Amino acid sequence: MKKTLLIALSLGVTVGAASTTALAVDPEMDRQQTVDYFKAKNPKIAPEEYINGAYIYNADKFAQWEAAEEFPPYLDAIDAGEAAWNKDKAVFEKCFGSDVSKIRAKYPYFDDAANKVITLEASINKCRTDAGLKPYKLKKGTIARVSAFLAYNARGQKIDVKIDSEGARKAYEAGRALYIEPRGQLGLSCAKCHTYNAGRKARSNLLSPHLGHTTHFPVFRAKWQALGTLHRRYVGCNKNMRAKPFKAQGTEYSNLEFFEAYTSNGLEINGPGYRE
Amino acid sequence: MMNSKMKQLLTALAISTAVTAAPVSSVQAAEKAASTIEQGKKLAYSRSKGNCLACHMAGEGAMPGNIGPALIAMKLRYPDKQKLYNKVWGTAEAQTVPNSMMPRFGHNGILSDSEISKIVDYIYTL
Ligand code: HEC
Ligand code: HEC
Repeated sequence: MKKTLLIALSLGVTVGAASTTALAVDPEMDRQQTVDYFKAKNPKIAPEEYINGAYIYNADKFAQWEAAEEFPPYLDAIDAGEAAWNKDKAVFEKCFGSDVSKIRAKYPYFDDAANKVITLEASINKCRTDAGLKPYKLKKGTIARVSAFLAYNARGQKIDVKIDSEGARKAYEAGRALYIEPRGQLGLSCAKCHTYNAGRKARSNLLSPHLGHTTHFPVFRAKWQALGTLHRRYVGCNKNMRAKPFKAQGTEYSNLEFFEAYTSNGLEINGPGYRE
Repeated sequence: MMNSKMKQLLTALAISTAVTAAPVSSVQAAEKAASTIEQGKKLAYSRSKGNCLACHMAGEGAMPGNIGPALIAMKLRYPDKQKLYNKVWGTAEAQTVPNSMMPRFGHNGILSDSEISKIVDYIYTL
């Protein structure tokens, strides 16, 4: 059962061969296959639970994590994010409108005119520089706090990434290729850890499922003792793979985010999240 | 009585000196093998070297992952030690599992051949 499923999964088939670009991928079919894959892997886990990351695989860890989320360490950071927002409120409202609950769910999206994926963090900085303000640093600090403030206000809304142009489909495909192809000295890929081995342990770290990866970002990690953006996490995983990381908010990670977010369509936004 | 005890003692002495004195080289060889195994264990456990524990249970190594099979009964499962070496080195014939997480330690230059050989000596004791 498991084997036929793996072979049927298009992820498995396209690895290796340069066929990833030659073969046109249907994102919606692809997404459905991913959902089905995780369902078959753990029939008892409901799709909506995937927003909780690796904790869904271990009852003890889930209980500890839930307790931590009662008085989460990121509350001050959300307040700081709000303060940063208010400080440049006039500028931000011109770019994003005045309803802070209506922002997070619009990202990431594909901008046909610019022919690229636009992430929330990139928009925040573009908004600033267009108005002559200094951009925030990209992976942590104020950018993560503002992002957390916007995520917090959008909690409960669903991820709804749209692909309705050839450019968007290409960006999805590029992100998907990055997710599947082994990179670095260890010959690892994102898929090997977060698809095929999700739920298993690397040392004592439970591997989270790809499905739902973007719902709870930015994340407050105990290890960082601070918030970090999704792209900061990507950098960390690439380093663990002994692969050269890409630039935060560059094309590669933006496409990767677009791919991961699309796969999580229909899941609730629950950021910011607390992680070990 | 005295005599026989004396005899025993003398023979015991003779034997023990025989052991310690005569085959000095084989003792050194045994010590060397023991230290190779010890080095192999260090290499296997080290995060910057083999980091086998990231994925495998191996000996008394703390907090092992469970991505790969436990490294136990290796002699039984790999009567041909060369095959085990090839698996860790990552020769082409050893690539039998699709999408395997098992890194190709020699092929990809993660570890040197002699480091791999020490690790194999160690896991062969498990
Ligand atoms: C060697 C295994 C490994 C590889 C390969 C790997 N990761 Fe990870 N990743 C981890 C571990 C361990 C964690 C921390 C535990 C967890 O939440 O999964 C993690 C965490 C994450 C998280 C945060 C999940 C959460 O709920 O907070 C994301 C997102 C992520 N990885 C994406 C990726 C992407 C994208 C790639 C490829 C560029 C990748 N990872 C490659 C091991 C890996
Ligand atoms: C990133 C994960 C990972 C790391 C690190 C890793 N392995 Fe593996 N290993 C696997 C997986 C998964 C398998 C099972 C699939 C296969 O055989 O390729 C495996 C298989 C094996 C096998 C074959 C087991 C059997 O039952 O026949 C041996 C032997 C082995 N590994 C030894 C090692 C040694 C020694 C190290 C460290 C130098 C190591 N592995 C590091 C993931 C890993």
